[in-house]
Amino acid sequence: MHDHELPARGAERTLRRSLFGLSPIAESLVAAVLGLGLGAIIMALSGFNPILAYAALLKGGFASTYALATSAACAAPLLLTGLTFAICARAGMFNIGAEGQVYMGALATVTLSYFVLPPGLAQIVGILFAMTAGALWSLVPALLRVFRGVNEVISTIMFNWVSHFLALYLVARVLVDPARSSQTVRVPVAARFPILIRGTDLSYAAFAALAFAVVVYILLWHTALGYEIRAAGFNPRAAKYGGIKSRRTMVVSFLLGGMSAGLAGAAMTMGTPPSYAVFAGLSQIANLGFNGMAVAMVGRNHPLGMIASALFFGGLAAGAREMQMTAGVPTEMVSVVQGVIVVTLAVPELVHIFRIFRGRWPRLLGKRGEA
Amino acid sequence: MTWNSLINILFIALHAMVPITLTAVGEIVGETAGLFNIGLEGILLLSAFAGVLGAGYAGPMVGLLVGMGTGMAIGLVFSVIATYWKGNQMIIGIGINLFAAGAVAYTMVVLGQPGYRLLSFENRLPMIRTPAGGLSPVIFVALAAPFLVYWFLRRTRAGLILKAAGEAPEAADVAGINVNRVRLLATTFGGMLAGLAGAYMSVSWIGSATKELAAGRGFIALAIVVFSGLNPMLALAGGIIYGVFQSLAIWIKNTPGITFLPWQVFDMLPYVVTLVVVTGAIGRVRFPKALGQPYKRE
Amino acid sequence: MAQEGPPSPETRQEQLFLVAHGISKTYSDGTEALKTVDLEIRRGEIVGLLGENGAGKTTLTKILSGLLPPTEGRVESPQGSVQFGSPREAMEFGIGMVHQHFALVGPFTATENVALGHEHPFSRVRLAKTRERLESLMEESGLHVPLDVPIEKLAVGEQQRVEILKVLSRDVDLLILDEPTSVLTPLEVDDLFDLLRRLRARGKSIILITHKLKEVQSITDRIVVLRHGKLVGNVKTSDATTEQLARLMVGQALEAGTSAVELRDEALPVRRDRERAGPEGETAIVLHVENLMARGSTGEMAVEGVSFDVHAGEIFGVAGVEGNGQTELVECLTGLRAPRQGRATIRGTDILRKDPKDIYRLGVAHIPEDRWEVGLILPFTLAENAILGIHRWERFRGPLRMLRWQAVQKHVTELMDRFEIRATGPNAPAKSLSGGNQQKLIVGRELAKDPEVIVAAQPTRGLDVASAKYIRELLEQMRGKGRAILLVSADLDEVLALSDRVAIMYEGRFMAVCAPSELTRERIGMLMGGVTSTSEEVCSA
Repeated sequence: MHDHELPARGAERTLRRSLFGLSPIAESLVAAVLGLGLGAIIMALSGFNPILAYAALLKGGFASTYALATSAACAAPLLLTGLTFAICARAGMFNIGAEGQVYMGALATVTLSYFVLPPGLAQIVGILFAMTAGALWSLVPALLRVFRGVNEVISTIMFNWVSHFLALYLVARVLVDPARSSQTVRVPVAARFPILIRGTDLSYAAFAALAFAVVVYILLWHTALGYEIRAAGFNPRAAKYGGIKSRRTMVVSFLLGGMSAGLAGAAMTMGTPPSYAVFAGLSQIANLGFNGMAVAMVGRNHPLGMIASALFFGGLAAGAREMQMTAGVPTEMVSVVQGVIVVTLAVPELVHIFRIFRGRWPRLLGKRGEA
Repeated sequence: MTWNSLINILFIALHAMVPITLTAVGEIVGETAGLFNIGLEGILLLSAFAGVLGAGYAGPMVGLLVGMGTGMAIGLVFSVIATYWKGNQMIIGIGINLFAAGAVAYTMVVLGQPGYRLLSFENRLPMIRTPAGGLSPVIFVALAAPFLVYWFLRRTRAGLILKAAGEAPEAADVAGINVNRVRLLATTFGGMLAGLAGAYMSVSWIGSATKELAAGRGFIALAIVVFSGLNPMLALAGGIIYGVFQSLAIWIKNTPGITFLPWQVFDMLPYVVTLVVVTGAIGRVRFPKALGQPYKRE
Repeated sequence: MAQEGPPSPETRQEQLFLVAHGISKTYSDGTEALKTVDLEIRRGEIVGLLGENGAGKTTLTKILSGLLPPTEGRVESPQGSVQFGSPREAMEFGIGMVHQHFALVGPFTATENVALGHEHPFSRVRLAKTRERLESLMEESGLHVPLDVPIEKLAVGEQQRVEILKVLSRDVDLLILDEPTSVLTPLEVDDLFDLLRRLRARGKSIILITHKLKEVQSITDRIVVLRHGKLVGNVKTSDATTEQLARLMVGQALEAGTSAVELRDEALPVRRDRERAGPEGETAIVLHVENLMARGSTGEMAVEGVSFDVHAGEIFGVAGVEGNGQTELVECLTGLRAPRQGRATIRGTDILRKDPKDIYRLGVAHIPEDRWEVGLILPFTLAENAILGIHRWERFRGPLRMLRWQAVQKHVTELMDRFEIRATGPNAPAKSLSGGNQQKLIVGRELAKDPEVIVAAQPTRGLDVASAKYIRELLEQMRGKGRAILLVSADLDEVLALSDRVAIMYEGRFMAVCAPSELTRERIGMLMGGVTSTSEEVCSA
């Protein structure tokens, strides 16, 4: 039973060390700084002005009400997909499937256009559809892991690709808007999330995301179920000894993660003007899953930390447009920065290493295999 | 189905098999030594792109070399962080993938062709002409590699050392083996093969690099590694199975007359097949005890 | 005990092999494992390195064998200063170590394991040649092992022999053995000691790490005692008494009236017929086990038909060298393993193949043998660990099915008081506690459930003397209250001192079930080694 879990098990132990290590906030800050720094170097090498770029980034992300609202609007779905990764990480697993679960959730909400429901009820139904779709999509990888020991990283990624093509098919053939073949039918007006601040993209979806984050926090630290999930995530053997069924906690965490991702999909369709639909290329909902992982890691897999980190990444996304307009830097730079931040976070006790950096190079390269 | 189509399918299968087999065989070496590299997808992407750039400047061979070099470099970074700095291998891998996606997309935009980069025909690796069609020379490398690695792992002392490092690093340490260095070399080698796979895709097979070029092949290779139980010969078999299915999917998509299923189903096929293969393989497979865990002398 | 005399004083001086001066070692987390230790090793002598857990014995020998660098100090040989950057360098100098947890690669055969340390990196493996060498070595040393079987399939004693052969094959001058007898039967220990004497006669030096006083007195020429990282004694074996050694090892002022015999590992008083505590005639069977059979993790049968009963107010002990099925037996009875066959009930209710939670509900407490991997969740706080297994109790449930952390805090503070658990606070992470306090936390948590049945597996392993004593007293108290206790321990003295009846387990079977007073040590040793007498009826129990 334990052999094929091995990559995950080893990862669990070091996951603990790097994600819940000393001065976690300091580590995230260092990682963010390193990421941005490397981004600046790359920009300079490509012939752009990094100072101008980052100034524009700040402006576009945080310098006006519109900017803040846009950042918050970008942050909401990221927070949710981040929670997907975080909940499962706390349960000791790597759920990379948020990407596909988002697709399914978004498409589920679009089907609302086939019903007539009063406002209020319509949103609730929409959220339920989305969460169910997301949860179902993450159920199979969970079962495969629990009953057959299939590494969930591989299975969730395969499911991502399957859902990618399934979504393309559904968008082009089944749910297509007869009037505009480049997108699906739209979410009916009654089901749309009201906009919070006029003239922005910020809708009540942001509240939904916040509420979900708070619920997850309470669940994980203040209920017996959450205790069991965290216990089994740290040490399945001790959990079993304590009467906890780790199979149950694994599946439950995956379901919760799927629900969160589904909700993210709903936030995109039900909460994003002006289209309230899914495009043929899946462009607006693509990459939410992957970006969410960075949010989770920087937020140390803790819902409250992730609210801050979601705002950070949301700000990056919102400011990226401004950065492109003013400094000409392609918006893809944000992904580069993100990647560097995640790699940096992989190193445990980052702050400690940082100090060594200043001092002794040879020790850093560990000549004797001892750290 | 005519004889011609059958040959066609076979040829495409051979070409499709290459990136999977090469990457999987490389990862087998790395996993035998104890490191689990989830960042293969990122390596494929980056080396495909680097290969195109290199080939564009100085021809196909340079392109392949640049790709291999890129793979080695990333493998090196991965293994340094995973061994000497005791980093979490899953997270490093995920980070590499994120970084690669961003860096490739970014550089493509900066260089003027957002989303893709073409390679002119004369800069592509010339195919070996056979009566039935063209075959990339890299196919033969991909066919030979499993045998060579199999021999290396089973019959040389270096192979024993690798296995010891992955299975019982404490014992290897006591026997005088520098576990971290061994792991570093193993994963760098694995990165090199993955780099070759990526460069092959852009420089030899397809002739261009796109943002989506890897299309999950890095993870499919990981699944094949699981299926193979770290046996390179089985990885070859798995790669061929994958190649056949991918080839079938392409053929069905391009053949008029088969319209009972939407094309997306066939695109899904390789991934579904991978899932089925992995699910079936698990349970009878045994991994090195220390896989995924950094080694520290207590 | 008489022993062959060491070389005469004159030759001794000329035959210094290695001298360590002022060795100190501080780990990266701040622990000071060694404080300026000086050590001399001469040729042709066996030195015992004595000390409790955590005294620094393993650290010192790891430094000598090249696994760790000293923080301060130096090592010298008659040829000059030496520095070992790696185990390989130490091997080349002539120092080889046989570790407590063998440094072997599981799926490799004995031949492959030995070959690992030998040839040049890129030459083709000449396993045949290594095999020949091994065979002649086996003849010479008298150690025999199957050479072509993956060593993970070998018995522990055989694995140790492979480990020793591995070191001998490198032609070492100094052989270091770390607690070699903890996995051997008394017969195997004798064989090992014979080998050590033969090696000594050939001029080799040997360092024997142990915490067993009797052993160290029987085989060594000289004894070095470490305590808390410091060298506290360096005596000729023939000059030292058990009491002296014990006192050096433990160092604390002994309570008035405590004689040396009560110290760990000494002959604890064997139980004579003690009255069963509890109401008169209360000998109800609480735990009943019938013909239990179970497979081990390697797929082979570990428990081969075990039957016994445990009464209320009784401590039933299971003695035997670790690895003879005790672990699997306990796991079957506590819901952590499914047996192949057999029956087990607690007051009539079936307990096999049940969830641990259901078993606990029957009033069972389980003190697991592996406190890190099973008994505790190390990253959790004390408070969180204190409710492991009882986290769903009514007491801790608040409105909306949420956990009432106040109730939990109260619980854990009570535990810390009652069981004298020392930590910085109830919210300290469990991994920050010492081994003794961790074990007390587990024991406290389990006993606070007020259980009817207690399954205690290796409850004092690796603990300091005070904690071990404390836990033993707790078990006796529970016995006094009429609880049924199943005690599994590799510490023979402990089992004999605490149990009303003891079973000797060997290769999955109970060789005998007797009252401790009915067996001589010799008999026990033989039973532990699998040697049965012709008469089946050994005891009355």
